[in-house]
Formats: sequence, structure tokens, C-alpha cells
Amino acid sequence: MTDTPLNTPADLPIKVTARKVTVSYSGKQALHDVSIDIPDRSVTAFIGPSGCGKSTFLRCLNRMNDTIDGAVVGGSLTIDGQEINDKTIDPVVLRASVGMVFQKPNPFPKSIYDNVAYGPRIHGLALTRPELDEIVENALRKAGLWDEVSDRLTHPGTGLSGGQQQRLVIARAIAVNPEVILMDEPCSALDPIATARIEELIDELRENYCIIIVTHSMQQAARVSQHTAFFHMGHLVEYGSTEDIFTNPRDTRTQDYITGRFG
Amino acid sequence: MTDTPDISPIRTAVSKNLGSRYRAESRFRAAGLAAVAAAVGILILLLSSIVSGGLPAFSANQLHLTVDLDEELVDPSGERSEDSLRRGSYSRILQNAVRTEFPEVTGRRDLRNLFSLYTALNATRLMDEVLEDPTLIGTQYRFTMPLADDLDLYLKGMLVDERSFEPQGTLSLDVSDDGVIVRSSATDFRDLASEVARTLRARATLLEVDADMLAERAEGLSGTEAEDMLYDAELNRRQAAEIRARLETEAGPIALDGSLPSILVESDGRTVLLTDLARNGAGGTGRFLLGSEAVDGESNWSLQVIDTPAERRRVSDQLIVWTRALEARGAISAAFNTYLFANADSREPELAGVKGALYGSILTMIITIIISVPIGVFTALYLEEYAPKNRFTALIEVNINNLAAVPSIVFGLLGLAVFINAFGLPRSAPLVGGLVLSLMTLPTVIIATRAALKAVPQSIREAALAVGASRTQTVFHHVLPLAAPGILTGAIIGLAQAMGETAPLLMIGMVAFIADAPTLGLEGFTEPATVMPVQIFLWSDGAERAFQARTAAAILVLLALMIGFNALAIYLRRRFERRW
Amino acid sequence: MSIIAIVALAIIVMLAGGFYVGRSRAISAVSGATARLHSLPNYHGYYVAIWTGLPAFILLAVFGIFGTSLVDRLTASELRRDAAELTASFEEALAADSETLAVMEALAVLRERSESAAANVAELRSARGSDRDPARLEALQSEYTDLVNQLATAEEVRLDRRNILRDAVLDEAVESAAPVRALAGFELMHSPRERRQLFLADARRIATDGLASRASPELDAAASIMRRHASQLRNLVAGLAIVIALGGLIRTRSQIAAAFRARNHVESLVTAMLFLSSVIAIMTTVGIVFSLLFESLRFFSTVPLTDFLFGLQWSPQIALRADQVGQSGAFGAVPLFAGTAMITLIAMIVAVPIGLLSAIYLSEYAGPRFRLTAKPVLEILAGVPTVVYGFFALLTVGPAIRGFFAMIGIEDVVTQSALSAGLVMGVMIIPFISSLSDDVINSVPQSLRDGSYAMGATKSETIGRVIIPAALPGIVGSILLAVSRAVGETMIVVMAAGQGANLTANPLESVTTITVQIVMLLTGDQEFDSPKTLSAFALGLVLFVITLVMNVIALRVVQRYREKYD
Ligand SMILES: Nc1ncnc2c1ncn2[C@@H]1O[C@H](COP(=O)(O)OP(=O)(O)OP(=O)(O)O)[C@@H](O)[C@H]1O
Ligand SMILES: [Mg+2]
Repeated sequence: MTDTPLNTPADLPIKVTARKVTVSYSGKQALHDVSIDIPDRSVTAFIGPSGCGKSTFLRCLNRMNDTIDGAVVGGSLTIDGQEINDKTIDPVVLRASVGMVFQKPNPFPKSIYDNVAYGPRIHGLALTRPELDEIVENALRKAGLWDEVSDRLTHPGTGLSGGQQQRLVIARAIAVNPEVILMDEPCSALDPIATARIEELIDELRENYCIIIVTHSMQQAARVSQHTAFFHMGHLVEYGSTEDIFTNPRDTRTQDYITGRFG
Repeated sequence: MTDTPDISPIRTAVSKNLGSRYRAESRFRAAGLAAVAAAVGILILLLSSIVSGGLPAFSANQLHLTVDLDEELVDPSGERSEDSLRRGSYSRILQNAVRTEFPEVTGRRDLRNLFSLYTALNATRLMDEVLEDPTLIGTQYRFTMPLADDLDLYLKGMLVDERSFEPQGTLSLDVSDDGVIVRSSATDFRDLASEVARTLRARATLLEVDADMLAERAEGLSGTEAEDMLYDAELNRRQAAEIRARLETEAGPIALDGSLPSILVESDGRTVLLTDLARNGAGGTGRFLLGSEAVDGESNWSLQVIDTPAERRRVSDQLIVWTRALEARGAISAAFNTYLFANADSREPELAGVKGALYGSILTMIITIIISVPIGVFTALYLEEYAPKNRFTALIEVNINNLAAVPSIVFGLLGLAVFINAFGLPRSAPLVGGLVLSLMTLPTVIIATRAALKAVPQSIREAALAVGASRTQTVFHHVLPLAAPGILTGAIIGLAQAMGETAPLLMIGMVAFIADAPTLGLEGFTEPATVMPVQIFLWSDGAERAFQARTAAAILVLLALMIGFNALAIYLRRRFERRW
Repeated sequence: MSIIAIVALAIIVMLAGGFYVGRSRAISAVSGATARLHSLPNYHGYYVAIWTGLPAFILLAVFGIFGTSLVDRLTASELRRDAAELTASFEEALAADSETLAVMEALAVLRERSESAAANVAELRSARGSDRDPARLEALQSEYTDLVNQLATAEEVRLDRRNILRDAVLDEAVESAAPVRALAGFELMHSPRERRQLFLADARRIATDGLASRASPELDAAASIMRRHASQLRNLVAGLAIVIALGGLIRTRSQIAAAFRARNHVESLVTAMLFLSSVIAIMTTVGIVFSLLFESLRFFSTVPLTDFLFGLQWSPQIALRADQVGQSGAFGAVPLFAGTAMITLIAMIVAVPIGLLSAIYLSEYAGPRFRLTAKPVLEILAGVPTVVYGFFALLTVGPAIRGFFAMIGIEDVVTQSALSAGLVMGVMIIPFISSLSDDVINSVPQSLRDGSYAMGATKSETIGRVIIPAALPGIVGSILLAVSRAVGETMIVVMAAGQGANLTANPLESVTTITVQIVMLLTGDQEFDSPKTLSAFALGLVLFVITLVMNVIALRVVQRYREKYD
């Protein structure tokens, strides 16, 4: 593997740059020298067998590994050219600009409104109630949930269906208007209809955000992403446009994986 | 990397009030740390106050007297039978022994005072020693007994504030009709004289302030209440005036009384208590508390001031002087307080010990173990391994959970109503105490055992059942041995809890004063007894100051036992802990 | 060695023998081909052994528990019979004694008058409008008090006279060389309950060659009777135990056969035993409920429930004697409820913040090393016996509070105050709250924390806005459990809160609580069946109901909460 990332997409501005990123959990190395350039305003998919380090890398991008005892992150990671592993970068600020959606929907045990308003409130983004109302409405509209919940904003968020909950969580993430949205298998707990709804949403959000999505579904990666990175045993094996990876993989491991020979 | 990356709007917005958010964060964190520190600090305070309060009780000042075991006194009928020996006048023997130490004491009141150097109960101890070894009769025997509790505290420096001075001049003591005239060649008493005058003046001022306040308050009132207040004010004024008159007008000596510090002049086996202090600081008059000879030009002497006024302490100057004299003669020595462990309870603190309570605790715990452990384990086995899931077992479960939170005193009421009044079991007996504590401990044992049984993986049961073992065989051969360490730790913790329990035992009369330790045997279970925590409760209420230290010492003994128990539990948990 | 110990040993031997017999008989029944047996030979052995040993041991255990009191009762009743003649002559003397008669008459008159005075007072007290006359009420009340005092004096006189007569009868009996046993019986009959107990205990000690607190011919006589009864009873029980054991052995031995389902028998016996054990827990609750209810009902038959629950004055000492049933209204428990509430409140003000914050700190902030050292400290606080806390309050906290208030110029603060008891009880409750809320906080799923951190929330924001709200039901449940614990706590308040039944909102005064009063009423001299004693059970009932309700609610809440996140 070379120092420069493979097959960097040239047509779009680069949002995230990783150089030789390594992660170890209590001494056990989970990620080896990952270098990658991720473009803005597009969807990048991470695929790979279970335990290969996709989530680990994703968690580096908003420094969620900081919350794990014994996790050590090495190498260089920049967003918009600014080093994020730097001591001077505040994880609070970073996380506000890098939203994250988890595998299982995790709405807070609060009302739908309060869930979406959570970010703006803690960061003090809205000074008045109408402002906040507007932010909440916009986020819910962007997440495609407004029509379904506008009449029951005070109901608990945990009372929604799984697919609605996941969209609520997405609304919560975009309510603070982040630059990057990380999604770790956002559809794995959902049925096909809800999944389709989310995929649609991701496609819409692509206009404004840099989206990185981890998925186990080849079809999903092919459907929603413009670029795909294949991880294997902690290494980034291959990275390129989704079309190239799926039609013309250069590495045999990639080929074996996408044709379903292992993983 | 560029120097000025274009910062996105969200980052700018968030950065704006980051400072106050982090301040809130550190405030919260500090509050949490403070809470933990408070808990730790309180524990340290608690332990240190008990340790510092209890340690003095582990040593005791002993009085060694050579007693003359005169045949006539010890054995009145001269037949050396136990009966006759029991009728001996041992208190006379002890009295004679102290009288030989201080032959000059004669008056009835003085003698009574002298005999309060020790408690009369020691006569029984002397008798026991003689009964044990009758060959002592007719000999001079060195008998050791604890010094009276207040004097013991005095020697430990816990009763009074005192100081001593090395004087400059030489001392002369002249015996006259008005008492002993004390004179120093230097003005050794001058500081003391002005000190006493200052104290008196301050007292007068205080009385006057009080009187003014009373008068002021009385103005707002009427009727008898106001009259009473005015009367009190007047009284105060008069007293103040008296004091001032004594101080300011008279040129003569200042009279010392029980409300002022005691000043003792000591020289070579003599002690004089000053009753008057000359203004010029050259001396005063006093009376002999020890010795009686005059002396002139003595350079080897000292001044002892007991700052705590005689009125406000439980020991007189005379007793203190005798005690100091005995100590100087080597008749008093401090040693480890064996009485604390060898004796049962006593009305006299110096003879009181925890033996009775310790035995009572042992007997009570035996009953508790015998009853609560098997029944608790059986219940847990039934619920966890046998019981069908139906209404009745659900009821038992709810019931056990609630029983675990029933106040312990309610178990005491149950014991009183059922075991004592309905069943007619004896009051104050370890048997009943054990029964009550068993019922109280039962939920703890059941809950711990169930947790231990739950921790045994299902696969073990399935494996045993698969090879054709019956359910009973599975449970008793496979599950129970694996759960045993967990059960044991749970049971020990429950029992330690029971050992520290007090309230329910008060209900069933284990709170009586019991001067004999119960028998460590079958009969012991129905004899009146008390237990360690109740003994602590009883002593904490004791009028004598010395009981306070005894209480703390008993607490230390109890805590040591409980720490031992818990350490055993932790050891067992570590030793046998299994992870599946 | 006592005969019981020998019998117990014998039964153990028989039990072992029974096992062996059962086993070998089973083997011989199939002439060694054990495969033909329904159950393994050992089970036949267990079966015989259980039926040999169990019933006999149960008999011995019952004897062990009730033997002594049975012997006491037998002895007492025999002594009483012996003393019948003396008692009769004493009664005669009483009946013939003019002074006693006069006092009795006076007593009857006084009682009547005091009753009518009480009625008058009650009438006047409930009077309305113009009939209301405070001055007259006061006069009547003082008259009533006067009468009550006179009654007490008269009663004393009667008792004195009775004692004099009793001593006279005794003297006479001694003179006429009456049997010692009669004297013993007489002494036993005419001493108060406590003394009776002591008498019997001393007799028992003499009978077992122990050390009695005193010696007298009467005690010796009682001891000899006791010795006789004890040995008779012992022999009876011993014989019975042997017979039962032998009977069990013989009967079960004859049952052993190849097809005998020994294993099933043994196992159902074991199951039955386990089941019976679990019933004991139920029996305990039933026992608590019934004993409290039964005694409380008797109490409420003399003191109306409403007076008890809403009365503002608590002074049970007034109704010390049986002829002064507590109509005086001194059983109003409101001051106790108020005192309990105040101390509990103070305790919670101390314990909830400290307990909750330290639980949060330990589970969210502290590193593993810190946690490992700080947690045991809290556990030690939980393990300290409450009597130690009480002593701490008495020795350190009370004087410190007093000193503090004296320093800021508030004099005459008592050492035993609601504040001191409440503070120390709060300390006792801290570990309780912290360990319960620690559990609750740890069961908040990690995904919620991750969600909040991923939004850029700080730790305290996550705790305050996500974790605490999510854990709130569980925390409330823990606090409720802690409150119930505080309400039922006894020793700290007994030692530190004082005893004055003050109805006050000032935490610097001494107050009293339900538990303190139960202790006060049931320790020291008590006569059973007096409202004073019975009121303790009524208080116990209130305590039991309050704590039970709180526990049930708390356990429900916590359980629901657990289910939510499981
Ligand atoms: N908190 C942790 N502590 C220790 N090891 C971890 C931790 N999280 C992940 N790992 C390890 O790091 C490696 C990569 O894990 P990661 O979660 O990144 O895999 P993944 O590619 O996301 O797998 P999946 O598709 O199953 O989610 C795995 O071997 C895993 O065991
Ligand atoms: Mg993953």
C-alpha cells in the first residue's frame, strides 16, 4: 500500500483526509495505517467483513474513540485541512460539525421536539423559541419526518416506529447543520420499506453534506454511494468510485468479498 | 495545511459559548468529586473519633496494694471451709491496706473519701483469689485492682486541665491555728494571684451584663414573670458587687474556693492546698492534704495548678493528691486493660467488660446461623430450582423482597408478641434473639443464594439432566457445590449485619443489665444475656464519663469482628470466584 | 453428658445404622443384582435414615426451644399449688383487714368521682357557644388531676398495706415452720413479672449448678422442684425420641423391596422440606401482620383510631396504671409522625445529593483505580452498625452542632436534636442511595450516551440532559427505598434525637419518632395489656404499613424501569 490514497476522486473538493491512521484498543491494534481522501457533497460507503475496522475508522472521524478507555489513535486526520486529532481541537466542536447516526436508533427518552432540539440547545444555536421551532421543523423536513410527526411533537421519541426513529435520529444530527454525517449501518435494524425511505433521504442529503456510511449490503452501497472503500482486517484494501469497485475490483480480496466468497 | 482554514458556521457558533460550557462541566465534576470526598471524609471522621475515643479504654491504671490477709478477717470461723471464707471481711482488708498507705487519714468522711480510690466490688475479686488459693491466708499479698474510673481518667489526662510550675524561691511552711502558712522567698505566687483576680473580675462583669439583659427583657413584660426577672437581675448585681468588693476594697488575701482553680504546693511528701492567696504573691494560707510537717527554706518544691475548678469536676483535690502520691510511690501503674475482656458488664466502669456481651453475641449468632442459613438456602433452592412459576411462588417472591425492607424493629415486635408472649420463651435469652435475627436475616440469605444459583450456567443443569440425573441429584450434586462460595459470602454478609443489629433485641429484653456472662453451652441459650451492639447502646448511656471510652472500645471490638467477617467473605469470593 | 446429648448421639448412630440397613436390605432383596432395583441402594438407605432421624430430631429441637419455659411453667404452677394455703390465709387477712377495706372503699369512691369528673371535663370540652366556659373547664380539669393524684396515692397506700400484710403472713409462716416450698411459691406469686423471671432464672441456675445472683432456701426449694420436672421431662423426651426413631427404622425397613420407589420418596421429601422452608418467609409476614394487628386492635378498643392518628399530644406515661385507661387523650401520634418526617427530611437532604453525586462521579467520571478504592469506602459506611452511628451522633455530631450554634450566638441548643439525628442518618443512607443509583445509572444503555456525545454534548450535559432523565424512575425508586429505610431506622434516633414529643418545626429541638417511642414503651418496666404497651404495637403497625407501601411502590417503579432497558 502506498502513502497516497488509491484512485482519489478528482472531480470533487476533498473534505476528509486521513494519513496512516492507526487505532488500538488496550494494545490490540484494530486499524493499520489507513490513508484515504473523502470528497465533499457525496456519499462514501465503507464495506468489509465484520470486525475489519469500519466502525473503528468511522469513530475516529468524530473522536468518539476518546470515550473508550484504552483506545489510542495515531496518524493524521484532517477535515477541511484542519487536524482533528490535535490537542487544540475540541471534541465538542468537532462532534457538532460531524454528526453521527448509529446502527440501532437511539432517540433520547424525551419528546420528538426535544430530541431534535437537543443539539441546538446544548450548543446555544437558537436564541428564541421561534428560532428553535424553525430549526426543528427544518431538520424534520429534511429528514422527511415532518409530515408524519408535526401533530405530535410533544410525544416521546421512543414511541415512533424503528424507521421513524432512525429518521428522527438523522434529523437530530442535521439539526445543528453539521458538515459531515457518519452513518454506521443505519438500516441494519430496519425493514426494506423503511430502508428505502432512508436511502432516499441519504440521496437528498448528499446535496449539502459529506456523508460516510458503513454498510454490509453490497446493493445498498451500490445504490447510495458514489465512492466505496473496502476494509479488510484493519487495512484499507481498495478505494475508488463505487462503479469501479463493483465492476472492476483490482484486489482479489475485494473481488472475493463482493462476489460473496467470504465475509 | 493552511494557516487559516475556513471555519464553518457551525464550528464558529459552537466555539462561541464553549468556555461557559466547560466551566459548567468542571463545576459539575468538582461537585461529584466533593460528594465522594465528603463520604470518605465522614468515614474518616467517624472512625477517627471512635478510635481516639476508644483507645484510652484499652489501658487501665492499676492500684497495687499489699494486703494483710489476716486469718481472723478472712476466715471468721477458722475452719477454712468455703462457706467460712466467703464470710470473710475482704472489704475491711482492702480498707486496712489503703489506710496503711495513708495512716494520717482518720475522720469518717475522709476515710470514706479514701476508700473511693477503688470500687468496693474489688472485695469480691479478692475473695475469689483467696478461694482459689487458700494458702494465701495469713500472708502479705500484693493485690492488684483497677483504680476508680474517674481517677483513671485523671491520670490519663482526660478529666482536668492542669499545669505545674518550677518556683524560683525557697519554700517555708508554718503550721498555725488558721492552717498552714505558705511562703516563698521569691514572688512565685504573683502571676497566680493576678490571674485569680482577673478571673473574678471577669465573673463579676458577666454577672452584671446578665443582670442588665434580664432587666431589659423584664421591661417589655409584666406580671410575675417580669418580677422574677428583676429579682434575678438584682441577685446577679449583688453577687457581682460582692465579688468586686472582695477584690477592690480589701487589701487582704483573696479567698480561693471551689469555683476557682485549685493551687497545690508540693514538697517532699507534703501537699498543701491553698485556701487564701496573698496579694503580693509571696504566698498564702492553706491546709495539708498530705503530710503535716512544717518546713523552712526548702528549695525542692513545686506548684501544681488544677485549672478545672473543683466544683466542675468529679474528683476532689484530696483524691487527686492521694492518687498522685500513690503514683509517686509506684503503687499505681498503667497496664493493658484486661478487665475489658475478662469481665462481663458491671455498674463500675473500671470493672466493666465485654465478655458477657461477646458470649451473648456468639450464642445468638449460633442460633441465627443454624436457622437462617439452611432455611434461606432451602427457600432459594426451592424458588430457583423447583418452584413452578405460579401465583403462589410469585407471592413468595414479592413477600421476600418486601420482608428485606421491613424495619428491623418490627421483627423485634414480632419476637415479643410471638416468641415471648405467645410461645412463652424466656425474655432476654439468646435463643429468642437468635430466632428474631434469623427471620430478619432470612431475606438477605435467600436473595444472595438466589443470585449465586442464577450465576450457575444453565448448561451445567442441562448436562446433568441429560445424563439421566434427577432434578434433586442435579441440584445437590452439581448446582449447589458450584454456587456454594456465592452462598457462603452472602450468608456471611447477612450474618455480619445481624451481628450489628440492636433494635429488635431491645424489644425482647436483651437490654437488661446482666453482670454474669452466659454459659457457653446449651444452658446459655436460655439464660439472660445481652449482645455487643446492645452493650454499646447501654454503655453509651452510662452516667460515668469512663463509660464513654468503654463504649468506643466496645465499638472497636465489634468493628474488628465485623471487619473479620467481611474480610472472610471477600477472601472466599476471591478464592472461589468463577467466571463462566 | 446430659441425657439429651446421649440420645442425640444415639439417634445419629441409629440414623447411620438406618442408612446401612436400608441399603443392605435393598441389595439383599435382589440378591446383589442392583440393576433390578427401582432405585439405587443408597436411596433406600437415605429413605430409612430420614424416617429414623428426622422426626426424632424435630422432637429434640422442639424440646430444646420450649423445654425450659415448659419446666418453668410446671415449676411455677407446682409452687403455686404448694402455696395455696398461704395464699388463702393472705387473702383472708386482706379481706379481714379493716385498713385495706377502708382504702378499697375510698378507692371505689375516688374512682367514681374521677370518672364523673372526666365525663364532665369531656362534656365541657365539647361544649359550644355560650356553654363554653374556659375558667370552669380549667377548674374541672384541675379537680380531675387532683382526683387522679389522690387515686394514685390511695393505690399506693393499698399496695403498701398489702405488702405489710404479705410480710406478716410470711413471718407467721416462717414462725410456724411452714414448708419452704410454700414460701417459695408465695414469694413467686407475689412478686412483679420481672422479679418472677429473675426468681425462676436463679432457680434454674441453682438447679444446673450454675452461679445464681443470690441464694435462699426458697430458691433451693424451687430449684429442686425444677430439677425434678426437668429430669422427668428430659427422660420423657429422650424415651419418646428413641421410640420414634426405632419405630421409624422398623417401619421403613419393612418397606424396602426391589420395586420400592425409594428415590421418588426421598426426592419428594426433599422437595417438601424445601417448600416448607420457603413457606417460613410467608409465615414471617403473616406473623408480623397478625401480631401487629391483634395487639393494635386491642389498643384501638381503648383509644379511638382517630385520636391516635390525629391527636396532637403524646404522653403515654400518664396512663401508666391500669385504672387510668388512656382517655386522657395522651396517645396522639402526630408529634411522632412529624418528628419522623423531619428527621427523614434532614437525612434525605444530606444523603440524596451526596449519594447521587458520588454515584454519578464514580460511574461516569472516575477512572477504574479511583472507583476501586472509593467504592469500598461507601461499602464500609453501609456496613457500620447503626448503634455506632448513634454513638457518633451522641459523641461528635451533637456537641459539634451545639458548639457551632453557640459560636454564632444561638445558645441553649440541645445536643440531642433532630438535626444531629438527621445528619447522621443521612450519612448512614448515603451508601444506600449511591449503590442503588449506581445500579440504575449503569443500566442506562450505552447507546444513549454515545448518541449524546456524538451530538457534541459534554459529559455533564449528557448526564444532566440524557442520563438522569432516563434513569429518573429508577432514582426515584431508590430514594423511596431510602426514605423507607430512614423511617424505620431506630438506633440513631433513639440515641441522638432525644425523647421529647415536641410538635415543632425547629430542627434544633429534640423530637421523637415512631421507632424511638416503640423502644421507649417496650423497654424498662412494662405491664402487658396496658394501653401504653399496646400502643407500641399500634405504632409498629403504622411503621410497617408506611414502609411496606413505600417499598411496594419503589420496587414496582424500579422493576418497570429495569424492564424498559433490558
Ligand atoms: N471498544 C472496543 N474495545 C476493544 N476492542 C474493540 C472495541 N471496539 C472494536 N474493537 C475491536 O476492533 C476491531 C474492529 O472493530 P469494528 O467495530 O471497527 O469492526 P466493524 O468493521 O465495524 O465490524 P461490524 O461490521 O461487525 O460492525 C474488532 O476486532 C473489534 O473486536
Ligand atoms: Mg461496526
